[in-house]
Amino acid sequence: MDTVPSQVVPGADPSARQLCFAWGPAEVLVCETLFGRAGGSRSRCLSQSPSPSRFWGEGRAGAAARALTGSVAGTGEGALSSSRVFVVRRDQDIYIQTLRKLFNESHGIFMGLQRSEEELAGKSRKAQLVQVSKNYRSVIRACMEDMHQAAVSTRDPALQGQYSTQVSILSAMELIWNLCEILFVEAAAAGPLLLRLLDWVRLHVCDVDSMVREVLSSESPSKHKLFWNVVDVFVLQGRMDEARHLLSKEASANPTSMNMYKILDDLMKKMPVPSLGNTQTLTELELKWQHWHEECQRYLQDGTFASNPHMESICKILLGDEDAILEKKELMTTWYHFLVTRLLYSHPTVKPLELRFYAQSSMDLFLGGESSPEPLDMILMAAFEFEMHQVIKECSIVLSNWWFVAHLTDLLDHCKLLQSHNLYFGSNMREFLLLEYASGLFSHHSLWQLGVDYFDYCPEYGRVYLELHIERIPLSTEQKALKVLRICEQRQMHEQVRSICKIMAMKALRNNRLGSALSWSIRAKDAAFATLISDRFLKDYCERGCFSDLDLIDNLGPSMLLSDRLTFLGKYREFHRLYGEKRFPEAARLLLTLMTAHIAPCSFWMTLLTDALPLLEQKEVIFSAEQTYELMRCLEDLTAGNPDKQKFQDDDVETTKVEMLRLALARNLARVIVKEGTVEGS
Amino acid sequence: QVSVINTVDTSHEDMIHDAQMDYYGTRLATCSSDRSVKIFDVRNGGQILVADLRGHEGPVWQVAWAHPMYGNILASCSYDRKVIIWKEENGTWEKTYEYTGHDSSVNSVCWAPHDYGLILACGSSDGAISLLSYTGDGQWEVKKISNAHTIGCNAVSWAPAVVPGSLIEQPSGQKPNYIKRFASGGCDNLVKIWKEEDGQWKEEQKLEAHSDWVRDVAWAPSIGLPTSTIASCSQDGRVFIWTCDDASGNSWSPKLLHKFNDVVWHVSWSITANILAVSGGDNKVTLWKESVDGLWACISDVNKGQGGVSAVTEGQQNEQ
Repeated sequence: MDTVPSQVVPGADPSARQLCFAWGPAEVLVCETLFGRAGGSRSRCLSQSPSPSRFWGEGRAGAAARALTGSVAGTGEGALSSSRVFVVRRDQDIYIQTLRKLFNESHGIFMGLQRSEEELAGKSRKAQLVQVSKNYRSVIRACMEDMHQAAVSTRDPALQGQYSTQVSILSAMELIWNLCEILFVEAAAAGPLLLRLLDWVRLHVCDVDSMVREVLSSESPSKHKLFWNVVDVFVLQGRMDEARHLLSKEASANPTSMNMYKILDDLMKKMPVPSLGNTQTLTELELKWQHWHEECQRYLQDGTFASNPHMESICKILLGDEDAILEKKELMTTWYHFLVTRLLYSHPTVKPLELRFYAQSSMDLFLGGESSPEPLDMILMAAFEFEMHQVIKECSIVLSNWWFVAHLTDLLDHCKLLQSHNLYFGSNMREFLLLEYASGLFSHHSLWQLGVDYFDYCPEYGRVYLELHIERIPLSTEQKALKVLRICEQRQMHEQVRSICKIMAMKALRNNRLGSALSWSIRAKDAAFATLISDRFLKDYCERGCFSDLDLIDNLGPSMLLSDRLTFLGKYREFHRLYGEKRFPEAARLLLTLMTAHIAPCSFWMTLLTDALPLLEQKEVIFSAEQTYELMRCLEDLTAGNPDKQKFQDDDVETTKVEMLRLALARNLARVIVKEGTVEGS
Repeated sequence: QVSVINTVDTSHEDMIHDAQMDYYGTRLATCSSDRSVKIFDVRNGGQILVADLRGHEGPVWQVAWAHPMYGNILASCSYDRKVIIWKEENGTWEKTYEYTGHDSSVNSVCWAPHDYGLILACGSSDGAISLLSYTGDGQWEVKKISNAHTIGCNAVSWAPAVVPGSLIEQPSGQKPNYIKRFASGGCDNLVKIWKEEDGQWKEEQKLEAHSDWVRDVAWAPSIGLPTSTIASCSQDGRVFIWTCDDASGNSWSPKLLHKFNDVVWHVSWSITANILAVSGGDNKVTLWKESVDGLWACISDVNKGQGGVSAVTEGQQNEQ
C-alpha cells in the first residue's frame, strides 16, 4: 500500500466530525458532519462516538488517491457542530494576474504548433519545433520579468513573498524546459551538445553575476580581492576569452609572472572546443584535444605554475581535475554546473546517452552526502537520463498547475518522441495532460475561452469534455451567452445550444422580458416554451389591448411554425396590421381563417369575434354572405359548446357581446344578400 | 495542491448534512438538522444569504438543484417524510410543491437529466422510491415503486441521458426516445438498476456484492464511451466500481476500489467523471482516479506540509 500525499484543509476540525463533501463545477465543498442518520434501527444519530481525529490518505496500485484532511485548527469544543462549509479548489494559479500573460501567449504558441505544417520534414521541421520551444521559453522569461517587477514595486511583504516564490518557480520551469529543448527537441549530438549545455549553464547560474560586475567595474580589477574568483568563474564556464582578458590585466600589473601568464594564456587560447559548423569531425577534435591535454599535463608536472597557486589551480581545472574543480563549489553553486564543467574539461565530445553516468556521479560528488537532492535536482537528473516520462511525472507532482507539463508534453509529442516510449501512455499522455489543464481554465471567468481551443485538439475526449464544461459557464449576461452559443454552434454541439437557449428563455421569462424569452425559445426550437410565451403575449393583449415587442412578432417568418400557438400569435398580429392598413377584405379573410382552420384556440374565439365587430359595422360590406354564415356558425359553436353555459349567460358583459354580435351579423347578412343579389350597373 | 477559496459560515444551528453547489458554482444550498435549508450567493468569494427556507419538521438530509433551464429550483428531503420542492419566483424563494407520500424518512433526492423533463427521484426508509414529474401548471405526477428495497432505500442516482442509436439531431419538437434509468442502493445490501418501460418502472438489474447496507450510489457522467459506470459504497467498508460494457445494460461487473476500515458514507463523481471522491471511514475524504488505460497516471501533488490558505489574489470580476 503506497502512502499518498495528503492535502490539508485548514480550518476544518477533525476531532469530532466526518467530512461531507460535494462536487461543484470547479471545486469541492467540504463540511463537517456526522453520518449515520437514516435507515431504521441501525441508524446512529448524533450520539455516535466518532473515530479518532487523524486524517490520512491512502493509495493503491491501479488508482491514484489524494486525501483531504483537516488540520487541527479548531478548538473542537463540545457538541455544537461547526456550521462552516469550505469551498476548496485546486489550481489557484489561474487567478494570478501576472500569470495571465503566460496563459494567453502560450495559448497562441500552442495553436500555432497544432496548425503548423507537418509536411516539413527532417531538419526544417526540427528547426521549427526548436523555434516553438524557444518561444515558449521567452514567454516564461517575460512573465518572470513582470513578476519580478511586481515583487520589487510592492510594499506588502506577503505579496512580495508570493511574487518572489512565483519568480523562482518560473525560473525553475525555464531551466527545465531549456534542458529538455537541448536534449529532446533539438536532440543535440555529441559536439554541439556540450556547447548548448555551456550556454544553458551560463544563462541560468546567475548567483555570481553581481560579483563579476563588481570586479569588472572596479578601477583596478586585478587588485580586487575577488579578482581570482571571477577569473575562476570564467574558466569554469568555459568563457576563455573573458578569462584571458582579465588575466592580461593581472599580467601587466605583475610583470614577474609574465612568463607563466604567457603559457597559460596560450593553453587557454589553443583549447580545442566543439564547433557548430562541420569544420571538423569528432575524431579530429578528440585527437586535437588529447594532444592539448597532454601539453597541459606537461606544463603542470614541470612545475611551471608552482609559484602561483591561482594559476596552478586553473591549469588543474583545464586538465579536468575533479578535486580542483570541486574546490570551486561556491562559484558553481549547482551540481549541474559542476557536471558541465567536468565534461568541458574531461570529455567535450560526450554523447547524449553518456550523460547519465556523468550526471549521477556529478550530483553525488557535488552534494557529497551533506545534502539530499531536491525535486528540481531529480527532474534534471531524469532529463539527463533521457527518461522523458519521469520528467513529466516529477514535474506534475511538484508544480501546482498543469500548464508546464501540458505544453511541454504536447511539444514532445509533436517531436514524435512520446510514441516510441512506454506504450501505455504514448499520445494518451499528451491528451490526458491537456484535458487536465484545459479543465482548470474553465473555472476562470475569461480564461475558459482558451480552454475551448485546447479541447479542440484533444481528439479522443476533447469534445465531450467541452460539452460537459461549457454548460457550466455562468451565463451572467446576454453577450456571454451569445459568445458561448457561437462556440457551440461552430462545433455543431446542438444539445448544448438548445440547453443554453432554454436557460436564457427561462431567465428572460422570469424577468418578464417576453420578447427576449420568445426569441430564445425559437432559437432553442422549444415548441412547448414558445407556446407558453405566446399565451402570455395573448393574455397581455387581452388585458391591455395592445401587443408588446411588435417588431419581434412581425418578423417571425417561418419560425412562426414552431408551435401552433405561436403561429396564431403571428397571424393574429398580422390581422391587426392589415386592419391598421385598412386592408379590410384581407383582414376579414384572415380573421375567419383563424377560426375555421382552428389555428386560434377556442378560448380566443370570443376575442376574435369581437374583433370582427368593427369590420361588420363598416359602411362598406366586407364579409361575404358565405363568410357571414361561417361567422354565425362559429358564434353558435362557441355559445353552444360552452361548458359554463350557465355562467356564460349570467355574465352580463358576455351576453351583451353575444347579442351585439348576433345583431351585427344579421345586419351584415341582410346587406350582403342585397349587394350580391344586385346586378352590376342596374 | 488545494486551497480553500471560501469559507461559508452558514449559521446553521445544528449539524449540516448536505451542501450542494448549483450548476454554475454561483449558489450554495445547505441543509441541516436544524430543519432549515439555506441558500447562499457565493460569487466572487462572497457569502450572501439569499434564503432561509423553513418547512421541514425534522432534520433535512439532502438537497438537489434542478437544471437551470427550468428556473431556480431546489429539492429537499427530510426525516419528516416530506420532499419539498422550492422555486425562486420574482426574486424570492417559495415552496412550490410538497410531497408527503412516504411513510418514513426520505433519505435521498436526485433530479433526472434535464433531457427527460423535470423529474425527481426520492428514496425513503419505507423501502419505496417515488418519482415526481412536473407536468405543467404547477402540477406534479407521482409514480411510486413500492418495496424497491426491503427495510429501506438510502440513495438514488440517475444515469446520464443517452439516446440509443445514432446521435443525429432530432427534428424540432420531436422528443427522442430516451431510455430512462436510475440506480438505487438500499438496506438489503443491493444496488438496483431501474428502467422505465411503457410508462412503468421495472427492476432491470440487481447488483450484489456488498455484505451490508448500501449507503450511497453514484452513476458516473457520460464521456461518450459505450460503457456505463456506477460507484457504490456500503456499511461493509467497501467501495465498488460497477461497469457495463454493452449498451443493452445486461452485464455489470464489479471491481473493488478499496476496502476501508469503517463505514463508507458517500461517493461522488466530478463533472467529467475522472475523479471519484469517497467519504471513507476514519474521517477522511479520498479522491480516486483511474487513467485511461486503468493504470495510474500521475496527477497527485505532494503536500509539503504547508497548511496555509493561499489568498485569491485577484477578484473575480464578471468580465465578458
